[in-house]
Amino acid sequence: MEYLLNQLVNGISQGAIYALMAIGYSVVVGVTGLITFTHGEVIMIGAFASFYIFQFFGNNLILGIAASFIASWLIGMFIYYVCYDRFFEAPSHISLICTIGASMLIKNLAQIYFGPNQKPMLNIIDNKVFRIGVLQISLIQIVILVTVIVLAGILAFFINNTRWGIMLRTVSQDKKAAYLMGVNVRRTAMIGNCIGCGLAGIAGMLISIYYQTLQATMGGPLGMKAFSSSVLGGLTDTRFSALGGLAIGLIENLGITISTASFRDIFAFGFLIAVLIIRPEGFASKKGARP
Amino acid sequence: MKVLLEAKSVSKHFGGLKAVDKVDMVINEGDIFGIIGPNGAGKTTFFNLCSGVFPVTGGEIFFNEENITNLRPDIIAKKGMARTFQNIKLFNYMSVLENIKIGFHIHSKTRMWDSILHTSVYKRDEKLAEEKGLEIIERVGLKDYKDTLAGNLAYGMQRRVEIARALALDPKILLLDEPAAGMNPNETMALMEFIKKLNQEGYTIAVIEHDMKFVMNTCNRILVLNFGKKICEGDSECVKANKEVNEAYFGKGIMVQGGTM
Amino acid sequence: MNEIIIRLKRFYENHKIITILIGSILLLLMPVIFPKSYIMGIICRILLYMILAGGLNVINGYSSQFCIGYAGFFCIGAYTEAILAVKLKINFWLLLPVAGIFTAVAGLLLCLPTLKLKGKYLALVTLGFSEIVRLVALNWSSLTGGPMGLKGIPVPRIFGIQFKSSLSYYYIFLLLVVVFLFVTRRVINSRIGRAWMSIREDEQAARSLGVDTYKYKALNFMYGAFWAGIAGAAYAPYTRYIDSTFFTLDEGFNILSMVIIGGMGTLVGPMAGSVVVNFLTELLRPISEYRMVAYAILIIAMMWLRPQGLFGASNSILAGRKINKKIRKAKKEVAA
Repeated sequence: MEYLLNQLVNGISQGAIYALMAIGYSVVVGVTGLITFTHGEVIMIGAFASFYIFQFFGNNLILGIAASFIASWLIGMFIYYVCYDRFFEAPSHISLICTIGASMLIKNLAQIYFGPNQKPMLNIIDNKVFRIGVLQISLIQIVILVTVIVLAGILAFFINNTRWGIMLRTVSQDKKAAYLMGVNVRRTAMIGNCIGCGLAGIAGMLISIYYQTLQATMGGPLGMKAFSSSVLGGLTDTRFSALGGLAIGLIENLGITISTASFRDIFAFGFLIAVLIIRPEGFASKKGARP
Repeated sequence: MKVLLEAKSVSKHFGGLKAVDKVDMVINEGDIFGIIGPNGAGKTTFFNLCSGVFPVTGGEIFFNEENITNLRPDIIAKKGMARTFQNIKLFNYMSVLENIKIGFHIHSKTRMWDSILHTSVYKRDEKLAEEKGLEIIERVGLKDYKDTLAGNLAYGMQRRVEIARALALDPKILLLDEPAAGMNPNETMALMEFIKKLNQEGYTIAVIEHDMKFVMNTCNRILVLNFGKKICEGDSECVKANKEVNEAYFGKGIMVQGGTM
Repeated sequence: MNEIIIRLKRFYENHKIITILIGSILLLLMPVIFPKSYIMGIICRILLYMILAGGLNVINGYSSQFCIGYAGFFCIGAYTEAILAVKLKINFWLLLPVAGIFTAVAGLLLCLPTLKLKGKYLALVTLGFSEIVRLVALNWSSLTGGPMGLKGIPVPRIFGIQFKSSLSYYYIFLLLVVVFLFVTRRVINSRIGRAWMSIREDEQAARSLGVDTYKYKALNFMYGAFWAGIAGAAYAPYTRYIDSTFFTLDEGFNILSMVIIGGMGTLVGPMAGSVVVNFLTELLRPISEYRMVAYAILIIAMMWLRPQGLFGASNSILAGRKINKKIRKAKKEVAA
């Protein structure tokens, strides 16, 4: 029982990171209207950005967050101009293939410049463990949870209460109409894309801190988990994507007792396929929408 | 008079919007049936319900006395209902002849083995598609354009290709969605004659149109929709005189005498 | 680019018999012209990937379904042959079609839940599928040998000839490519191919014309999977050892890049793609880490400049909006 509870805590912590990745992904897909395969690579870039910051400036978490957000934002701009900007009116498979190319490009360049091996990212946060009754929760996990909740809160506030947020929402619903209302669709789409990427970058930092390691090839499976999580929300709904992330994190950790790392990945993929079979549009309902 | 297509209290709601609201309709075999109404009245949605593109929210649709409500569009097509679309859905990058050949899909039986081994089934199907395809192209008068990419044709000709493709299905009923849209008066006249000719050859035709001259002169029965509801159904005289129809088109306060529109 | 293709086509049409004759003689005598097994190895790779790219092209290019996890099918084909050959000692020539059919069934099972979904979801599912297959191959040690893989895969024999080296195995690959092209060409130029293309161009219109789009999409997927299975079944006894690292997502992207670069929606496209990509691989061997970078840049460039690929179907929706501009210009000329 105690073991189960602790796995629950682990699951929620890990799920929180996945949730952040998924939220980022759903923002990107929601605002641009195009699916991307680059999310994993953006996560990786964020992780490496924070890695180098920690190397040069010590274990300053705030600096790390800033660095990973900015680095991912910049990569997001690159991805936007290469894969999205000219393809809004084109058949969607074209931008999809471009994102595959971009992800290959970033991943392999990263392998060349950062080296292909795992790098340790040790002790960024002290490994203090707190006990609440039978529950054990580490400082790292608390930091992760707090960070994700704060970021989600900021995002929600931004999207619902600011002018930029309204512009993002209009662009995600109907680009032509937004354009006719005077919204600069291209710039808004880019900003939406970059926000999603920035969140992904921070998630990359968090997961490297959690597992104390990072690698140039870490993007692939993480990206998969990001979109496995967000199919729950039809790829565009942030709340359900977060829920999906939590769910996958929980499944992975509760299932860890009976399986190895590979099977964790299989769970995530199986989850993806299961959701797509049961409810492909996701669980977020769009009232009054034409089919 | 055999009833070919019948709608019983058919409704389609999109959330709170009642696009089609309890519409009844009867099309008899041999009719040229017009569906008119102001923009947004629900005419195309109604067609989409009949041809299976949307599922109904309520009501039933019968084709040839068979309940086809909510069946898949390809099954309904196989049963003999062909349609064209308001915004012309041609295969723009295929030639006119290739477009029409797809119409013969339901009349051919070639399976994987047949195509690989070029069996007699394959040869027969290919011959059918080629010969009948050319025949239909001649009928619509597009012989010179048979190898032109459909997307390269002028608008009026594209409409003809779409109708030709629908004819390839050898349907019992043709649903034409605004076939005269974008046509000049001459083209519209030619289209009217063509539709009358098709009707004489035995096709039942249902047309959505805005062009009143077209509708009043070709259709023997008309259904008028407004805000998703049926206002009236009958022959052209009855519709012209109907108060509600006049109000829908011209607003309250003006009564057009004699229906000169 | 289109003019080059038109000129090549015309040359072929005018000199058909001679080109086929000379071409066939050259192909049959390849191992004599290049007796080095290194070079024949490259040629074998090119031929193998012609089948793989060709099969993927049928899925991606002809019906425009989006499969990214093609490596999964390749893996299933290879392991099916290897397991049945090693453990049950079944003959290679029998296993070829068996592996193909088995993989086709896997393709059917995969696409069934996704038939009603939009294309982007299918792409994700194939990705997940490819990884699941690889992970199963990696972990199910009792069946697949796990991380150690399967070794000692028996060499194909016929009439006492053993196909051990790349010089002899070349003929097996050549035969398979020829069969693939022959069969695929016939299927494409039939009612089935037309149905597939109608689905690619406008699925809704195809459906209202009576095309059972679900059935044909499934058929298309199975057809593509079948050939991946055949390729896998030919590959396993060639290398005589397989393990799950041969079938990663990167391998899937490798095949995909051949289809994208060489061209989608035509028969020639993937063939050209295999030649170009494998040629580049050899060319870039001194700087092999940059190989994938080169492909990535090529893919992006292709999407920017010529989305249908080098030899792809210009007359299709695959070519993106560039064609729309040309058509709009032409329409104005016709209407004027």
